Amino acid sequence: MSRHPMDDRWSRRQFMRGAGGAAIALPSMAAILAACSKPGTTTTDGGSSGGGERQIARPETPVTLPLRGDSIAADTPIEEGATLQVYNWDSYMYKKVIKDFEDEYGVSVEWTTFNNMEEGIQKLVSGQVKPDVFFPTIDYISRLVEKDLLLPLTHELIPNMESNVWPSFSDPGPFYDVGWQYTVPYTIYTTGVAYRRDRVDDASAAEQGYDLLWNPDYSGAISYYDSYRDALGMALVRLGNMDPNTGDQTSIDAAKDSVLEILNDYNGRLTINGTFAKLPEGEFTVSQSWSGDIVGAKWYLPKGTPEDVLGFWFPDDKVGLISNDTIVIPTTAQSPRLAHEFLNFFLDATHGYQNFADWNGYQPPFTSINPSKLISDKVVPPDLEKAVVTEEMFTKGLVPGELTPEVDQLWLNAWNEIQAGGG
Amino acid sequence: MSSATLVPPTPASSTASRIRGWRKNPWRRPRFLQAITIGYLLWSLIPVAIAVVFSFNSGRSRSTWQGASLRWWNGDPFDSLFHDPTLRAAMLQTFRLSFLTVLIAVPIGTAFAIGIDRWHGRPARPANFMMLLSFVVPEMILGVSLFLLFTNLFKNLVPLGTTAQLLGLATFQMSYPVIIVRARLLSIGPEYEEAAMDLGAKPGQSIRRVLLPLLSPAILASVAVVFADSVDDFVIVRYLSGPANSEPLSVKIYSAARSSPTPAVNAAATVMLMATLAMIIVGYLVYRRFARGTGDAGDMASFTQL
Amino acid sequence: METTSPPGTKRRRGWRGDADQRSGAWYPRWYWPSFTGPGTLWLVLLFVLPFYTVLSVAFGTVEPFFRTPLPVYQPWYWNFATFSTTLEKLYVSPAIYQPALIRTFTYVFAASFICLVIGYAVAYYAARFAGKHRVLVLVLLVAPFWISYLMRIYAWQSLLQPDGYVNDALGALHLVSSPVLWLSGKPVTVILGLVYGYIPFMILPLYGSLDRIEASMLEAGRDLGASPSQTFRRVTLPLSKPAILAGLVIVALPMFGDYYTSNLLGTQQTSMFGNLIDTSVYQAGQGPEAGSLVLILMVIVIAPMLYYLRETRRAAESA
Repeated sequence: MSRHPMDDRWSRRQFMRGAGGAAIALPSMAAILAACSKPGTTTTDGGSSGGGERQIARPETPVTLPLRGDSIAADTPIEEGATLQVYNWDSYMYKKVIKDFEDEYGVSVEWTTFNNMEEGIQKLVSGQVKPDVFFPTIDYISRLVEKDLLLPLTHELIPNMESNVWPSFSDPGPFYDVGWQYTVPYTIYTTGVAYRRDRVDDASAAEQGYDLLWNPDYSGAISYYDSYRDALGMALVRLGNMDPNTGDQTSIDAAKDSVLEILNDYNGRLTINGTFAKLPEGEFTVSQSWSGDIVGAKWYLPKGTPEDVLGFWFPDDKVGLISNDTIVIPTTAQSPRLAHEFLNFFLDATHGYQNFADWNGYQPPFTSINPSKLISDKVVPPDLEKAVVTEEMFTKGLVPGELTPEVDQLWLNAWNEIQAGGG
Repeated sequence: MSSATLVPPTPASSTASRIRGWRKNPWRRPRFLQAITIGYLLWSLIPVAIAVVFSFNSGRSRSTWQGASLRWWNGDPFDSLFHDPTLRAAMLQTFRLSFLTVLIAVPIGTAFAIGIDRWHGRPARPANFMMLLSFVVPEMILGVSLFLLFTNLFKNLVPLGTTAQLLGLATFQMSYPVIIVRARLLSIGPEYEEAAMDLGAKPGQSIRRVLLPLLSPAILASVAVVFADSVDDFVIVRYLSGPANSEPLSVKIYSAARSSPTPAVNAAATVMLMATLAMIIVGYLVYRRFARGTGDAGDMASFTQL
Repeated sequence: METTSPPGTKRRRGWRGDADQRSGAWYPRWYWPSFTGPGTLWLVLLFVLPFYTVLSVAFGTVEPFFRTPLPVYQPWYWNFATFSTTLEKLYVSPAIYQPALIRTFTYVFAASFICLVIGYAVAYYAARFAGKHRVLVLVLLVAPFWISYLMRIYAWQSLLQPDGYVNDALGALHLVSSPVLWLSGKPVTVILGLVYGYIPFMILPLYGSLDRIEASMLEAGRDLGASPSQTFRRVTLPLSKPAILAGLVIVALPMFGDYYTSNLLGTQQTSMFGNLIDTSVYQAGQGPEAGSLVLILMVIVIAPMLYYLRETRRAAESA
């Protein structure tokens, strides 16, 4: 993913265009020297698919990652007075929860940020940052393990996985990391369509589904995510292709044309803030929407606009786009024991919930979260019921995952054509 | 009453003749040009003035006025300029980078100007050419090139972030002092120095005691120009920013403008504007003071002919 | 070597030539060159070397795992495959980047031309007619030059919102019945944004040039029977021609690399060449393409750059 729903109501304002940060690369010097002596083994248009025999994880083909390196012993003492280095999106955590962690353990937390996943990964790989805790998207997990960058988790130190997280995340564990050897989940979110209920009634929205975004009636008031996996992914699903990781050129081209139709024929806009900021302000009538975005959109309603103008559509059969973020401990961790505590802290029913409800807007997969209670507690407005993510959605959903370099290139070619604006 | 009946025809006819005269030769009377000039000035300054005014909006809109308040400056406990730590950090970063860029670019650029002015050896030409090229190259090209440099060749030397931004800015700004100081050198000529050396001064002394004081207006002008232009820089500092706390104000404004800006961004931009203008005014006043009595050759020109 | 050339043949700059001879006698050979050392070294490391890195990235490859650029520093290993596919995207059907390239030229030429027309009128007025308000006019002309480009574009973005003052004004004058969506990919918005952003760079050199034209030249024209418009065409315009060309170059150069104006005032339908670079530079696997695009941009702007340098050099020598 080049872009990400890193979200909370303050930070989105600073969210740079998906590109935002920097793809700072950096394999080791040895890799460069190797390339120098034998350049051209790969080209941008294809070539070898790094990782040799590595299998790409999909919900239907879960992957048990190879165990590399040793986890820490469960009786390792907590590093006292340590400074925990956390590497995460800007403002993707509630500072109050961080403060509570510091107070509870008598440590300090230093939070370094990245603007997009590529930047985060590259700085980690090149050793420009040496964090204790990192927040990658699922498509990078396997490659990080392959490069010996992740520390296997010590399960005894993260009891909240058993007690508070959806069982599918611990047994058998998520498809990208069966047995949760390296990851714990952070947030989960679906991708649906947000609409203004004062302009589109619920029955009509339910009938239209994805076509809400392809409706000429809303010309000039349609927002679509400025992110290639999300933009092309939803177009694929709308066209009936239920594989959001497809490598089929014809399907990708059809999805591309479909996106261009929104942009060129219905004057749609590619934005990153269309849902959480512009829809509540009334600039857009319909928008492609991560569930966490529309939940957080209430903060952006102008004074006097009731919360019930916000609506969200997601397929009734729950088969739609869904993804999650993870928390991992890199092998660079100086305080691995404390890092385990940090993971456990964020999976805690109180602290993790506070992080979500009071700040983040993106839901953690907790058994302690009762969907109907979210609504009665007004964390999620009643008309956004479909934005609540349930375990069932997660097991049935369509998950955009890692692409091989060749397939990724097809997607990027299509996306760059869209970005270049056509004729 | 009688005067009232008499007066009206006069302005009407004079207006008519004026229009006729203007049609015949629009350039003679500059009304037309004057209108364009005034129109241009309004066009160029009013949007900025409105942006400044909107930093005092009480609502969160930056396009609909909802009454005056200091909410976005200081009032709002989270989002106002003085309470939002990311905006504060960005302001600090902007001024830190600008200050350090001046410290690097102005001395090196000044020395380069002196050297290139006095040295007529063969290698002087390519060096000078390279310097001038760095002045005209589109910032986009330099920005991306430096980004690729720091992420590849120099990746183990300089990570993206403050140091990289500083090196990039100094590279882009170095040509300003060179051009300003050189213009001044051309206008003062070598006579003063020669006189000093005739009186027994050593080369170093003649530079310190004679040349540098003579150049001080140009050096001060360079300081003002480099500082102000660094505060305003966007392309280079964006490509070379590292962690979020190394993003200066211009990058924050850009990010905000692309997502969901509040009037706090207007407030931040206003601070930037004030800093730039203050630097220019101080620089200009000091310049005037130092340049007094040495003719007005470089006077405004340094500011206008970049 | 220059001291041996007979006076008047090689350099005709009077006292400066004399100064050279004398300074050659008084200073050690290394003295003045050493002043240029730090600046030269700086530029070699941070201006020349970056360009070499661009070449190495453009003609290099990508690391297979995370698909980051893997530059190749030895020219004999360079691989031009990505460069040529990038070129093909500009002119071989389906030429997906061609519309952006054409758009860039159209916008840059339109915006430069508008800059010239408005800029000339304003500079001409300031230089010839501002009279006692001259200093004030000059200060006001210089002011936008020092206001951050980004802030000025941001200001327009606010004014051009559907509920912004521009639509309010048009609505109040009954010129439009519903708000105009200025920011939804209208070329005119982006072109005027570019004009707005870069016009100070046009006005100031024009002012400098027009200001230097001696009143006596104009009077001579008039005394010889030329009408004011003839004087303008035959005297003022030719004398200001170098400044016009320099102004056009100096506004057009950065416009070719501009991406933020289109990003803030337009959509992907107004994407320019700079946007292509800005998009690809961060994408996994697209490093060589980004490098290639930078090289192509360099080729586009190199001629005007050299022209500008030659002209300013000439102006400096004749001054």
